[in-house]
Amino acid sequence: MKIAALVLMSATLLSSQTAAGQTVSPHVKLPPYTRQVLPNGAVLNVMPRKDVPLITMSIVFKGGAEADPAELPGLANVTAEAIRRGTAKRTAEQFAQELDSLGGAFESGADLQSLRVDAEFLSKDLAAGLDLVMDAIRNPAFPEAEIKKVVAQHVDSAKGAKDNPSAAAGLYFRSFYYGPSHPYGRPADELSYARITRKDVADFHKRMFAGRNMIVAVAGDLDPATATKLLVDAFGAVRAGEAYPWKQAPAAQAKATRVAVVDKPDATETQFLIGQPGIERTHPDRVPLWVVNTIFGGRFTSILNDELRVNTGLTYGASSRMDQFHLPGRITIASFTRTETTGKAVDVALSLLRTLREKGISAEQLASSKQYLKGTYPADRLETPDQLVEILTEIELFDLNRGEVDDLFSRIDAVTLDKANEVIKKYYGSGNLTFLLLGNASAFDAELKKHAPVVTRVPISDPGFRVAP
Amino acid sequence: MRTLVAHAAALLLLFPALLAALDPKGVRTFTLANGMKVIVEEDHDIPNVAMYLFYQVGSRNERPGITGISHFFEHMMFNGAKKYGPKQFDVEMEKAGGSNNAYTARDVTVYTDWFPRTALRLMFDMEADRIQYLSFDPKIIESERGVVASERLTRTDNNNFGLIYEQLNAAAYTAHPYGWPVVGWPSDIQAWSMEDLKAHFKMGYAPNNCLMVVVGDVSFDEVQKLAKEFMEPIPRQQPPPAVRTVEPPQLGERRVSVVKRSELPYQLVSWHVPKASHADIPALQVLSAVLSEGRSSRLYSRMVDREQLALSASAEVEQQLDPGQFLAYVRPRAGVDTAKTEKVLFEEIERVRTAEIRADELRKAKNQLLTQFYRQMKTISGRANQLGTAEIFLGSYEQMYGTPSRFEAVTAADVLRVAKQYLGPNQRTVATLIPEAAK
Repeated sequence: MKIAALVLMSATLLSSQTAAGQTVSPHVKLPPYTRQVLPNGAVLNVMPRKDVPLITMSIVFKGGAEADPAELPGLANVTAEAIRRGTAKRTAEQFAQELDSLGGAFESGADLQSLRVDAEFLSKDLAAGLDLVMDAIRNPAFPEAEIKKVVAQHVDSAKGAKDNPSAAAGLYFRSFYYGPSHPYGRPADELSYARITRKDVADFHKRMFAGRNMIVAVAGDLDPATATKLLVDAFGAVRAGEAYPWKQAPAAQAKATRVAVVDKPDATETQFLIGQPGIERTHPDRVPLWVVNTIFGGRFTSILNDELRVNTGLTYGASSRMDQFHLPGRITIASFTRTETTGKAVDVALSLLRTLREKGISAEQLASSKQYLKGTYPADRLETPDQLVEILTEIELFDLNRGEVDDLFSRIDAVTLDKANEVIKKYYGSGNLTFLLLGNASAFDAELKKHAPVVTRVPISDPGFRVAP
Repeated sequence: MRTLVAHAAALLLLFPALLAALDPKGVRTFTLANGMKVIVEEDHDIPNVAMYLFYQVGSRNERPGITGISHFFEHMMFNGAKKYGPKQFDVEMEKAGGSNNAYTARDVTVYTDWFPRTALRLMFDMEADRIQYLSFDPKIIESERGVVASERLTRTDNNNFGLIYEQLNAAAYTAHPYGWPVVGWPSDIQAWSMEDLKAHFKMGYAPNNCLMVVVGDVSFDEVQKLAKEFMEPIPRQQPPPAVRTVEPPQLGERRVSVVKRSELPYQLVSWHVPKASHADIPALQVLSAVLSEGRSSRLYSRMVDREQLALSASAEVEQQLDPGQFLAYVRPRAGVDTAKTEKVLFEEIERVRTAEIRADELRKAKNQLLTQFYRQMKTISGRANQLGTAEIFLGSYEQMYGTPSRFEAVTAADVLRVAKQYLGPNQRTVATLIPEAAK
């Protein structure tokens, strides 16, 4: 018996019962669930939640887009889509027909760190739904004709991304910030998708869809004993294979301030992103940085939104976002403004960054941010089975533990003003900045020269999202 | 009535959990002396509350020259009142652990507050303050005008879908206010005067024109007590005048195009359908599911999968106070002639107008609509929105619980009848975004 079943008991959310009190809940805890490691290495989490009669499951394979071979960005995406397009038992049409007849949902895709399947079925249909999910995961046939279709659709989607300026700016920015030698710096485009063959997909599936590389979380209106038996049988049958070795790379670090403009001559609005080095998902500064970034650009009253939107009316929204992966991510200022006010909006954002670095934050700002994060967290992360399976898989994906939830509020409480200001000095405006703007370049690129001697210009009509300095 | 009851009984056998999970008895309501109605559902799963305020004012209550003004108030409501000055609504709310948003539609403007239960009293205080005493500072108005202009630039003028959707509505409605965009025409955004703003606020923002829905970690009694304390003293006002204009029947196809630099084309087609509370709406929803819900649906399987003509193809029924539209959205593949996608779309529409859908398609659509309904019920905010929407658009919040049985009662003959009646070629409007090659 190699199955180590560990029952993690806890109270559910402890809500503050003080009538009209001034504080939010003193802490939150993950609801009870079981976690076990199956003989093939797969981790299975099961969490009963009585609410609506649905069961939600997430099956996560470590790796995702960072596991794409350097010359084949997009392979994880294409593979995720192709698993439902014909299996040993079903054609793509039959798969769709059965799924839709159950009223079920089946979404598969890849992000930078994982390839995931998210499925949902009526509770009474768990066995039938699981049969579909396992068929896609274990027995995809990858018919040549279906792979061709998937590839062609992805080629057009990549082109179509340029019709969405905000999404396109994000892809160019990723490529510019990390650069093509970094595993995060190669967004898939129409050229890379077009190179993907059936053999690439089948090989990728064989390598990545392995028990040792698999995290499963299931939550919803289920009977734990019956459901767990079904799930253990199903996911335990996946080939053990090899665990995915995470990519290593030196931290992306600009040697000097870099500015690039993606030229879209018909744009009447400019998207702009300003990035600086951030942290990896497990970094000990993650909670203090989250508290600080909320004040700078993570909520409506944030410093960025308050000035760029509320005080000056330059934009509909301005934010600072953090992304956190196995390797260090970025802290990115993001906003947009009409073409004529591009230079001004960028200047305002930079001056706010400078002021934050020089002056830090106040005790009042810190207290407000802490309350905000604690008050919004339960509804943002712990309310629905979908949110709960997301947390459970995230804990496994980054080798964290349930302290990510159970100790979160005490970690937030522990952020002192000194610590917050120390984190600001360490991360905000300390490194060289990377600017990416997408808009009508000739209307504003002269104004950018003061930030960097060379402004790289890329026509949006060039294929792909490469920004070569 | 007999068939409806029989279907309801069958549903109970199929989904015994339905009653336990979705019991209208868990919901209670009261109406204040000033006419404000409040719907309360206690749910103690998480220590949070969703408070939704539905004002029955939207772009439908505007006129040429002031289009977009309802949406502008959605912004101005956060810019200060008497007790809580500029920025204070957001500052105090976030400090108390809450967050908010708001949306404006053609028929309603909805303020959505999410907060820990400890902030309940504060929220009543702040909501009451801004209904009664919103301030009109000229400087703030000018700044907020810029914000709304930016919102329009990003969501409409620099967004292919936003642009073509606006043109579609402008062509589909020749008389009714649904023809102008909720965000407003650019020239109107620049032109609202102080008098326009004050008059519009007085028209829309009164307790008797507001429905409040509170779902979450509260007790009915405390909500009632707070509502009496903060909301009841606010005087009622004359409600907005009735919207008298009725869109005349469409007598022939209308076509509109936008030529724009773009990678891919876009195509939208609409047909006029009745208002949300009309008995034909559930059959139209089943029809839209048959056409486009899931990959085995008729439009997806043919246009996206088999014939590789489109990246996406979907259908939707609008549900509004006045007659809305049945919409089809097609995103053609690169290099595919939009005449071809249009032809195939119309062939599929003709199929549902000439023969009944199969029994298995009907069953599948009902299952899909049922699970969709459950998905909307998962969160306190989802339920607050659904309860309020049912109360306003279907006449009673209790109608929300009847959603599954309304779908269950639809027959294949109903679907054929509504397709024949509403989706005729003379009643459609076709809007196409045509990519202009880069020079």
